[in-house]
Amino acid sequence: MDGHEVNPCIDIQDLFKTFVKGRKEVRALANFSLAVPDAQFVCLLGPSGCGKTTVLRILAGLETKSGGMVKVKGREVSRAGSDRGMVFQEFALFPWRTVRKNIEFGLEIRNMPETERRKLSSKYIDLVGLGGFEDAHPKELSGGMKQRVGIARALANEPAVLLMDEPFGSLDAQTRNLMQKELLRIWSATRKTILFVTHSVDEAVFLADRIVVMTARPGKVREDIAVDLPRPRDRTSSDFISVRGRVLAELDEEFEKARAKELSPD
Amino acid sequence: MTNDPLKALNKKLKDNWTQYLLAVISIAVFIAAWHLYAAYLHENDSGYQGYIPYPLDVAEALVDSFRYEDPNLGLTMFDHIAASLERILLGFVIAIVIAVPLGLLMGTFRKADAVGRPIVELIRPIPPLAWIPIFIVVLGMLWGPVAIVALGIFFPVLLNVMFGVRSVEPTLMDAAKTLGANRSQMFLKVVLPFTTPYLMTGVKVGLGIGWMCIVAAEMVGNYGGGVGYFIKDTADVGAFEYMYAGMIVIGLLGILTTGVAGLIEGRLSRWMGMK
Amino acid sequence: MERNVLYAIVVAAIVIVSSAAAVYVLTGDDEPKEKYPVYFVTMGVSSMKGALASGEIDGFIAWEPFGSEAILEDLGEPLIWSGEIMPNHPCCVVVASTDYLELDLGGGLTGASMTSRFVKAHIEATSWMVDALDDKDSANYTLLVELGVQFTGKSEAIVESALDHMKYGYEMDQTFMEGITNFTEMFIVGGAISEDKLAIGGYEDVDDFVDQYTNETFLDAESAVQPSDVILNPDDPVRIGFLKSDIHELAQWVAQNTTVGGGAKSLFETYGVNVVNASAVGGYASGPEEMDKFAAGEVDIGYLGCAPAIQKHLNAQVHTVIVAQANSEGSAIVVEADAGIESIDDLQNKTIAVPSTGTIQFVLLKRAVNDEGLELKLKT
Repeated sequence: MDGHEVNPCIDIQDLFKTFVKGRKEVRALANFSLAVPDAQFVCLLGPSGCGKTTVLRILAGLETKSGGMVKVKGREVSRAGSDRGMVFQEFALFPWRTVRKNIEFGLEIRNMPETERRKLSSKYIDLVGLGGFEDAHPKELSGGMKQRVGIARALANEPAVLLMDEPFGSLDAQTRNLMQKELLRIWSATRKTILFVTHSVDEAVFLADRIVVMTARPGKVREDIAVDLPRPRDRTSSDFISVRGRVLAELDEEFEKARAKELSPD
Repeated sequence: MTNDPLKALNKKLKDNWTQYLLAVISIAVFIAAWHLYAAYLHENDSGYQGYIPYPLDVAEALVDSFRYEDPNLGLTMFDHIAASLERILLGFVIAIVIAVPLGLLMGTFRKADAVGRPIVELIRPIPPLAWIPIFIVVLGMLWGPVAIVALGIFFPVLLNVMFGVRSVEPTLMDAAKTLGANRSQMFLKVVLPFTTPYLMTGVKVGLGIGWMCIVAAEMVGNYGGGVGYFIKDTADVGAFEYMYAGMIVIGLLGILTTGVAGLIEGRLSRWMGMK
Repeated sequence: MERNVLYAIVVAAIVIVSSAAAVYVLTGDDEPKEKYPVYFVTMGVSSMKGALASGEIDGFIAWEPFGSEAILEDLGEPLIWSGEIMPNHPCCVVVASTDYLELDLGGGLTGASMTSRFVKAHIEATSWMVDALDDKDSANYTLLVELGVQFTGKSEAIVESALDHMKYGYEMDQTFMEGITNFTEMFIVGGAISEDKLAIGGYEDVDDFVDQYTNETFLDAESAVQPSDVILNPDDPVRIGFLKSDIHELAQWVAQNTTVGGGAKSLFETYGVNVVNASAVGGYASGPEEMDKFAAGEVDIGYLGCAPAIQKHLNAQVHTVIVAQANSEGSAIVVEADAGIESIDDLQNKTIAVPSTGTIQFVLLKRAVNDEGLELKLKT
């Protein structure tokens, strides 16, 4: 339950983030702290606009922080790097590249020789179950398959952590359930540290070792809930439902707060 | 997954046969109307009957223009086409060599855009043809017409490349960044391929404008003939059936070049998986 | 060591290149003198001066005053005047629309009768010009130069020089007819007119065409035309066409001038003819353009080069007929000054601009070049 180990994989302390929106300054994050040990699967939940995605993007190096400390594997994050893989809700696949070439993108960047590249990409194509689609272009794939490419592409770089920004958000319910199972399979095979942003309480309870519920803006950690249910989890079990209920209750309260804030003129 | 292209074409033909039929009928009606009008003028011994020759005479002139040399010029239509194509090609290369880097630069950097945009916006609305008298004198009879063509192709390419660069999806850039790409790698591996179909669109539009420019430029002055020159020369002596033949050649070449550019564009974007 | 190798390579390269150059120069000298073609390009006469100055062309052939202009501005020097290529060759003519000739203007007036009067004024104007040119100290000469300056927009010096090289005349004599025949034959040989066009026009051969396309009745009726106290066609002016600044076509300008006519009336008015310029911009840019205006029914009587008149009448059946001559000769091949071009033979490998392949100037150049045993080719 306690994430504050000696050497956490992800270590965030007192993170602040302020945006300038028009003439107004918006405080997106304030005093956000989180430590995630190696190989843990953490879901980040919170009301819309609470800064979940911002946390992820700062970790990825796509955005700069306004204050605090962000470390991955003991190293301060300052810019994007291949040690942190990211999976996007919109898949963000390169449409002109085939499945294999998409997965090899990061390896090309590192000037890895072709034979090695091929070996590695084959490995991840097999891992995510895309065998037979190596030469297909993204537009020929379904949403679920596209995201398999997205995951394989991030993993091919062999990062320390996998940052997933609502990766299944645009999939239909059935594909989503399938992809959740697939992700757990892939995770158990790779044992990556995963920080997974989602809107879905059900998804979080089904996937995570640990659910971090954030407060409304400016976001910080409201509740850190360990999910000690054995896998594969049964969505209909009473344990599952009780954890879900607990998370939902936390979230509802924040949601109400966020709404009240939105309605009040500030 | 496999798609027999011949079968697909066959199916397309079958599906659209009414459209093809209508196209054929429309052309037939046009030629018939033309013939009737020419006949009307000739029957009434109109003062400008020679200016509207019969379609059949034009067809004959078209064939003859390819078969026989003009005794004064020593050129056939093939030579004129080659001369025009050479100018288009030179103008095209010059336009691409300047417009693509400039478009990438202006699309990428705000400062480059701020520097370049006023000049671009100032010159862009001027029809390339307005430059003919100056270009012919200053740049001469070879490079003058080429420069007119280059100018015609330049702006559609420049603007499309700029638009392409600006249209690059931010998530693609984010993805490339998280995969470890530095600035130059992002440019080479994301911005450039993303912009390529836009570039092709610019090329297609530019070639269409280029053809219009070359005809006008060749009419004013050039070396070595050209289809535009042929049109002016035959109109000057009143050989109007040949003039129309030249116009048809220009039309067909225009369709052909933009068609080829369109085909390359389609192939490329399909090959790149963008369409 | 490496440096020595480098030196050796450089020395070897110099030796090879220079010996190759020497061989080329020496063998080149040994070869018999080969004849090279003369090249031509087409451009508007008003652009030729600039092209000559910029070195784009080595010379041009044009009608006056464009030759004199370049010569007087020291941009070029005359290589040969067109009278030396083909003595007394026809140049500009007066052409009437046959549709106009058939026109009934009412009150006993016809297009034909107005044309007679027009031709009469043209004859008088031309005679006046010939007389004025004969006596350069006369007041009439001064007036002629003044009119030339007005019409061409060129300086007095240019106009005087141009006038020196003009031969004005109205008659369609033997030389004129031979010249027209000659030109027509050259157009057919040169491909500007295809042979079957003669048949389409209803002509048996070139002689038959020349015979029918020149109508001497108006010149012949000259003595019968008397001055008229009143303008006969106040509401139906003769719409006249001419080329902008072309001093060959000065007669119509002279005939429109009241001083020449004796003070109160112009020569046209003296014979009761009301004229109006058909072009809204002070003349047409080229003969082909003027023929197009004939075809469009915008011109009744016009001055233009005989070449476009013949070509567009035969090729496109434009309803016209030649009713008088306007001038003969009056063109020149002008070449870059001090470029060592002293004969037609020196034009080998040089580029000469012509107004278009459908002009007398092109035919004259071709003739001059061919007479020297050289070939005239389009510059590529």
